[in-house]
This record gives sequence, C-alpha cells and structure tokens, in this order.
Amino acid sequence: MRWNENDAKTYQSAKEYVDTAIIPLLPVAGGKEQEEAVRMGEFTSYLTDFLERQYTGRVYLLPPFTYLKEESTEDRLERLKTWTEHFKNQGFSHFLYVTSDSRWRQADARDLGELVWIPAFSLAEMDTNKRQQSIEQQAQQIIPLMTEKWS
Amino acid sequence: MSEKNHRVSRRQFLTYTLTGVGGFMAAGMLAPMVRMALDPALEAAGDSEFVSVGLSEDEVSEEPQRVDFSIELDDGWYSSEQSRSAWVLREGNEILALSPICTHLGCTVNWGTNEENPEEFFCPCHFGRFERDGTNIPGTPPTRPLDVYEVEVRDGMIYLGQINQRG
Ligand code: FES
Repeated sequence: MRWNENDAKTYQSAKEYVDTAIIPLLPVAGGKEQEEAVRMGEFTSYLTDFLERQYTGRVYLLPPFTYLKEESTEDRLERLKTWTEHFKNQGFSHFLYVTSDSRWRQADARDLGELVWIPAFSLAEMDTNKRQQSIEQQAQQIIPLMTEKWS
Repeated sequence: MSEKNHRVSRRQFLTYTLTGVGGFMAAGMLAPMVRMALDPALEAAGDSEFVSVGLSEDEVSEEPQRVDFSIELDDGWYSSEQSRSAWVLREGNEILALSPICTHLGCTVNWGTNEENPEEFFCPCHFGRFERDGTNIPGTPPTRPLDVYEVEVRDGMIYLGQINQRG
C-alpha cells in the first residue's frame, strides 16, 4: 500500500492483512552534501518502491522519515521510536527501515525492527530496464529479512 | 479471312488475358504498398497498445516463463515508461500470458517458489495459490483467477496487449 487516498481506503478494509510497515530513512542536506543526500534519497525510494510493488498487499510504505544530516544519532533514534510506537499501536507488527546513510549502522534499532543499510549508487544514467534490474538485485538482499518474519 | 479473324481474336483474347494477369500482378504489387502506406495510420489507431516482449512463439512452453517489458504511459501530464511483467505459457494450442498481480491484494506472484507446491503460482503475502493456468486454488485468500493479457502473434513473435479479468 502507498501513502495515497485510494490505498488508505483499501487499507481500512483489509487491515488484518497489512501487518508490515516500510519506512525509508532519508538524510537531508544542502550545499556541498546535497548531491550525496539526493542520491541516497533517490536510491532508497526506488528500492522501497520496488518492495512496495512486490508486496503491496501486506506492506504499507510510509512517508520517508527525514532528518538533517547534523541531527544526532540519539535524537534521530528517539524520533524514529515515536513513529514506530505510533504505528505499532495502529496494528502494525513488523517494521522495516531502509536507508543508504551509513550513519544508521551505529544506531541500535534492534527493538524497533529490521534496519537495512544498502549503499547507494547512481541510477540517473541507466535506462528503465537496467535500473529495474539493478534495483531488483539489491532488493533480493532485503526481501528475506522481511518475509522470514511472515508466517 | 476466317483464319485472320481467328488470329486477331486470339490476339485480342491474349491481350485481354494478359491485361487481366497484369492487373492481378499490379494489384499484387500495389497491395503491400498500399498497406505500407496505411499501416502507420492503423498502428496509431489500435495496434500500438500491443508491445513485443522479445519472446518468439516457439520459445513458449508449458512451463511458465517470466517476461519483463515496459510500456509507454501517458497520464495527461507527461508520459513515462512503466515496467510490466507477465508469465507466458502454452495451454493446449493457446498461448496464455498471465498477469503476476495477485487477485487478493495485489502482491506479485511467482511460479514454483513454494516448495510444497512447485507446480503452482505462489503469492508470498498471504500464501495465495494459483494453478498453472492461473485458476485460484480454493481455501487460499484469492477469490478469482489471475488476470490475462491479450496475446497476439506477429511474425512468430509474442505481443501483449491490455489486461483483462476472468471469472
Ligand atoms: S495478496 Fe496474494 S494472497 Fe494476499
């Protein structure tokens, strides 16, 4: 499911089937670091879009969790906890966070859910098919982490 | 006199005949030219929805094969390419192209990924199952068969069109 009105409606009537939330974690920065932040953001979106498309009936792709690059790990983690709690209370039982920002590797998110870090590469020069293929390849690393919790 | 008449009439006969044959030949030559001239128009009218998936008719077997292709989408603001997939298989002397979208809640199904049921389509989301021809298996969440693409074979190649619901 996606963050749009139609899917929100479908979700209301199929809630018991949608138990997994996917949250992209996207750094935001201007100036010199902007380009890198954008690349990470674009890459992560392609990846989470792919996951959503494959598993749309069971996952809800939430809006990205964004943060300024200088926000400390503790603060980020704290806010992410609040998000997670909120959606847990709404009936989600599995959480998957996807990011290209390596600084999340130091964060201990074990009790929040599964946090996967995938280094970004540029997709701008690829044609649709090539891009689709590379994204699918990367996604294959994430999929088992998500589906092995399902049963 | 009568002989001459005869000869003339035969010549006339031949002339007529040859004109006839020539006419046929000309028609035979013209037809493709006319078709070639008309074709782009025809294509713009209706055929353009069909896209080649890069698979030839003889490559299609009973074992479902996944093909990926992209279509041009025009949503009023800009046109974009969207990727699509289909499972193509032979069923009797028909070619079936199944949409991989689970009819329960839209996850993507795969062929043979469930170890206990290797000869079925399987949906990982809520374990929906479909037979080889796309029929949903009772007792699993989906309530109707997988949708099918319209299939056309042109010069031995598989072309897929729009997606239709069944059942
Ligand atoms: S979406 Fe396929 S079984 Fe539910």
